[in-house]
Amino acid sequence: MLRVAIDIGGTFTDVVAETEAGLSSIKILTSSKTPETAALAGMSTLLARMSAEWGDVDSLVHGTTLATNALIERKGAKTAIVTTAGFRDVLAMRNEKRFDQYELNIELPTPLIPRPLRFGIQERTLADGSIVARPDDTEIDNLCQQLSQQNVAAVAIGFLHSYRNNINEQYVASRMQDKLGDSVTICQSAEVAGEIREYERFSTVCANAYVRPLMTSYLSRMTSELAQQGFRGSFLMMLSDGSLTTLEQAKRFPVRLIEGGPAGGVALGAHVAKELASNKTLSLDIGGTTAKICFIQNGKPQTSRLFEVARSWRDVKGSGLPVKVPTVELVELGAGGGSIASVDSLGRLKTGPQSAGSVPGPACYNQGGTHATVTDAHLVTGGIAAEGFAEGMIELKKQRASDALKSEVQSALDFASVAEAAAGVIELANETMANAARVHGIELGLDVSSFDLLVSGGGGGIHATRIAEKLGISRIVVPAHAGVGSAVGFLRSPIAFETALSVIETIDAIDCTELNARLQAALIDVRKIVSQAVVQSSVSTSVVAEIRYKGQGLELRIPLLFSAGLQQALQTAQQQFIDQYRLMSGFTLPDVDIELVSLSIAATENSRDKKSAEHVSTSMSSNDQHKIYPTTDAEANLTAQLNADNVTREVFDQRAKSFQSSTVIPRTKLNGDTLQGPIVITETQTTTLVPKTWCVHQSQQGHLVLERQA
Amino acid sequence: MDRVASVSTTDTRELDYVAKNVLWNRLISVCEEQANALMRAAFGAIVREAGDLSAGIFNADGEMLAQAVTGTPGHVNTMAASVNAMLNIVPSSTLSDGDVLVTNDPWLGAGHVFDFVVVTPVFVEHKIVAYLASTSHIVDVGGLGWSAEARSVYEEGVTIPVMHLRKRDVINEDLLGIVTANSRVPHEARGDILSLLSCNDTGAKRLDDLMQEYGLCDLCEISNFIFQRSIQGTRAALQLAPNGEYHSELLLDGYDSPITLRARMRIHDEHVEVDLSGSSPAINRGINCPLNYSAAYAAFGIRALLTPQVPNNQASLNAIRISAPPGLVVSAERPAPVSARHVIGQALPDLMFGCLEKALPDQVLAESAGALWTLSLSGTGENPFTSLNVVLGGMGARPTVDGLSTTAFPSGVGAVPVETAEVAAPLIYHSKEFITDSGGAGRFRGGLSQRLEVGSNCGQELNLAAAAFERLNEGPVGRQGGHRGSAGKVFLSNGTRIHDKGFHRIPAGETLVLQTPGGGGFDDPIHRDRSAVKRDLAYGLISEEAATHIYHLNDNNSEE
Repeated sequence: MLRVAIDIGGTFTDVVAETEAGLSSIKILTSSKTPETAALAGMSTLLARMSAEWGDVDSLVHGTTLATNALIERKGAKTAIVTTAGFRDVLAMRNEKRFDQYELNIELPTPLIPRPLRFGIQERTLADGSIVARPDDTEIDNLCQQLSQQNVAAVAIGFLHSYRNNINEQYVASRMQDKLGDSVTICQSAEVAGEIREYERFSTVCANAYVRPLMTSYLSRMTSELAQQGFRGSFLMMLSDGSLTTLEQAKRFPVRLIEGGPAGGVALGAHVAKELASNKTLSLDIGGTTAKICFIQNGKPQTSRLFEVARSWRDVKGSGLPVKVPTVELVELGAGGGSIASVDSLGRLKTGPQSAGSVPGPACYNQGGTHATVTDAHLVTGGIAAEGFAEGMIELKKQRASDALKSEVQSALDFASVAEAAAGVIELANETMANAARVHGIELGLDVSSFDLLVSGGGGGIHATRIAEKLGISRIVVPAHAGVGSAVGFLRSPIAFETALSVIETIDAIDCTELNARLQAALIDVRKIVSQAVVQSSVSTSVVAEIRYKGQGLELRIPLLFSAGLQQALQTAQQQFIDQYRLMSGFTLPDVDIELVSLSIAATENSRDKKSAEHVSTSMSSNDQHKIYPTTDAEANLTAQLNADNVTREVFDQRAKSFQSSTVIPRTKLNGDTLQGPIVITETQTTTLVPKTWCVHQSQQGHLVLERQA
Repeated sequence: MDRVASVSTTDTRELDYVAKNVLWNRLISVCEEQANALMRAAFGAIVREAGDLSAGIFNADGEMLAQAVTGTPGHVNTMAASVNAMLNIVPSSTLSDGDVLVTNDPWLGAGHVFDFVVVTPVFVEHKIVAYLASTSHIVDVGGLGWSAEARSVYEEGVTIPVMHLRKRDVINEDLLGIVTANSRVPHEARGDILSLLSCNDTGAKRLDDLMQEYGLCDLCEISNFIFQRSIQGTRAALQLAPNGEYHSELLLDGYDSPITLRARMRIHDEHVEVDLSGSSPAINRGINCPLNYSAAYAAFGIRALLTPQVPNNQASLNAIRISAPPGLVVSAERPAPVSARHVIGQALPDLMFGCLEKALPDQVLAESAGALWTLSLSGTGENPFTSLNVVLGGMGARPTVDGLSTTAFPSGVGAVPVETAEVAAPLIYHSKEFITDSGGAGRFRGGLSQRLEVGSNCGQELNLAAAAFERLNEGPVGRQGGHRGSAGKVFLSNGTRIHDKGFHRIPAGETLVLQTPGGGGFDDPIHRDRSAVKRDLAYGLISEEAATHIYHLNDNNSEE
């Protein structure tokens, strides 16, 4: 069994191969114009090193940020939207709200589709699904002529209330497809995101239409090249919600691929959580510019059905384009290694959200960056060493870091030493991340202190213990393979597909026969999609109801259990809703109607997950099987240096306000023994700090486990 | 409230500089959490979508330390003053752990009876260390409901004087009974009031955790830090505005005759004073504004322009002092009717900007559509319903960028989606589109307004409360040579024009058409970037005529 995962990011492409013997991986630069080139070259190199043939590959799992980048850089197809007459400006009006009250100069996202390409046609469906006006053929045909003349490559169709009845959308789509031919992509809003709220639904269908031509052509090139190389296995794509789907579905709904990369990272977290029997895990990825947070319970990441892409204003929430598809619920915040420390006009120290990025980068990169960043602070406090940073690819200048911190932070705020200023910068970054986790936990009704913290990314291991302390968390996991975590996560993800039905009716008044018909049709749909990739018998389905008091926005998600039909299931769910509501707010509202807002319907394969988990735990029991190719000279030097015995490093302790000596131990030298901090654990892509109140050991799967002492 | 003892992660110690920074952020975050909990639990689409609420944390002296970023300006400063006003009536010395106070008195709370303020003391070792306060808009508290037709506040709904909502953990069901007996939607009203109480409890719990984590027994030190930094930040920001006295005036349509708003602003080194003397006297319809609500919006305008980076707290608000002699339309006294007080209140930022333009000519945005157009429709007979939405106009052009089209300003709310509005009421929205040429011409164009057409979906007769349709006579003013935005217009499909703010009947089969005001422009249109003019023309945001005659697109002399 040989399985391969390819994760194409903006900068790097990771390829990971897994056999019974373990994992092998390669990291290469992304070839932006034709992303398949680098990916296939990397795969070829990796296969050659493993002495394997293309034909030996049983399955390939792929995730890519190509669709995301097209949306951010506005490089998608020339797209038009056809909507209900009178509503062509929905995309530009949004929800008519400012996302920042006190900033008078905010800018809103530019709609994906400019006004001249937004067309209204006469048609209308009411809120109850009844049709009061059917579209007129002549009007459709005239519109098609205009679209052809303007060389439109993709058309999004979004009509009011189509989530309830999409006959008009279907009719227009099919007639337009006939008139315009197969070369024009046509997407319908009810199919892409069949939920109430016109702005979010129209925005989603437009994004889908906008990236679909590009993604279809990319995926076709990729598959044909793979075939040429002799690949005959299955090809699956990673979705934003952390599940895998067929190529055909990926081409229909490319907007569902957007968060595939980060979802892979979360999937790895979920897998590691299962391996370590952690039922409650807070996954925190700390990269160069942002940190991402996701709660994982019983091995399942928190998911939602709405997120934002391509934020237009300083990465502020509310300034992006809404996309309403299932996604792992990541809270992304502007805190990372590149986050800039500054003192504002009130004399307050701030870390981020502005970032120095990788160009010019932190001051210590010595590439023109002059701002003091979190990385500079770590260098000054001894959290990271100047030598061997990023596998030796970047040489760090400590003096630069020190100078920047001195001029931008220490002198402005009278810190006693530059190290204290640096520690302050780090403390604020820690606080930003801890607070985001705390707030998000509360939104979800979770007690964060009962969770384990699972960190990844370049900064995960350095910040972990302090963040854990702030959150009252006492166990931390730094997983193996974190450097290519998303790609490894792809290999751990189930094949699944989810869709949703808007209902918005009082539970007691629901026509269960009608709703059941809609539900069954949706179940058949999702089951069919998943069955294309797995054996039918191994597909299971689930339905989650979103329920609220009529008129409130507080919707709770309750899984439906079908032992005695839909009506009974809804009654049970209603009681569960009342119980949960009481737990959350301390009271209930017995006189208020309870409303079913929507049903989320998911199909999941249920066999492979278990099999692969067993398979992995045996294959990963020996931790030295993870080989990173190619071995560079820098890495060889680094290893030699790390292997030297009795290395210590001075690390600044924020509470003691002084430097304390820590033992430096390369991760490769750890075994199952428990070691007491202060220790600095080094590896090629990250560093883990273990302060003296913490101890650490390596699990049999190769993960670092840090535990706080009482 | 419940007290959960948790292990302190740090020992009691004097807070260092970094810890104070962190603590300040955490206090804002406690309020934010409180506000979000409240927003999710609110009844009525308009409140939920709009965020017509606020939440804050106060020290033991009743001074506001921090406030949620979520929320709308009208609740901001009003709530800051509410806590002390309420403690003047129920002294803090009489409060016990578990007590909660409430009022909806327009002159103590947020300017009309719909807004309830709930205040919860937080005790540590039998001593009050802080208060949590929150306010939100309750759907219905009786009286005439949402309109400007009441002749006095007594007709606008039931007023709850400051009293206990909870006494030592026992909820005051008598009070809730009075509210529910007076409300057309009793269960929702009860739920909304309990949600205020519950969100304060959440905040109190979080504050308790926070104080334990930092080993604090009071908030004195952090209060001083926040106030001192805010004073410092305000002073630094005010240095950029020249000291002096500045005047401005603004003319509104009024209920049935024009209303003048007048301001005299004095900018000092460390504070700004505004006197609203000379504004029109209060009228006998409910668009009057209590001074607390006028002050809230006036301060918002000044702070957004001069000190936006200083967070809201007692010190940053103390630097802005708004006064007016009693009995004016901006300082109405009980028993004047005040339901639609936002018609006046939300015009005050533009009035403040008028003064500030004289101090900082190049830095002040043009006038905006102003007051939210509240669309209040109801039907009787076999199919009774009420539906509340807001319809937004254009924001004024900013000094370096166009105004935002169809976006609420200065209010912080948003519109209810058409699909949601149609699910909630038997209405059909026929169109909702930008109006060509509605944005005031200028080098930077004012935001566009919209044309919204709505009617019954079943041929029902509808009732309309037109209370908030303002700026029908003249559009918002441009600045520095920018033109006015378009004036608003309201009419029925049968041709009937609506000019006043009263009740109107929409006969069965007819539809209502609203055209909101557009934002004013900034600087002479002849200086507008030619490619922007061409784009606006191609997009249909301006007409051929405007491109030629106002922007002089084809006039070679205007090319820069």
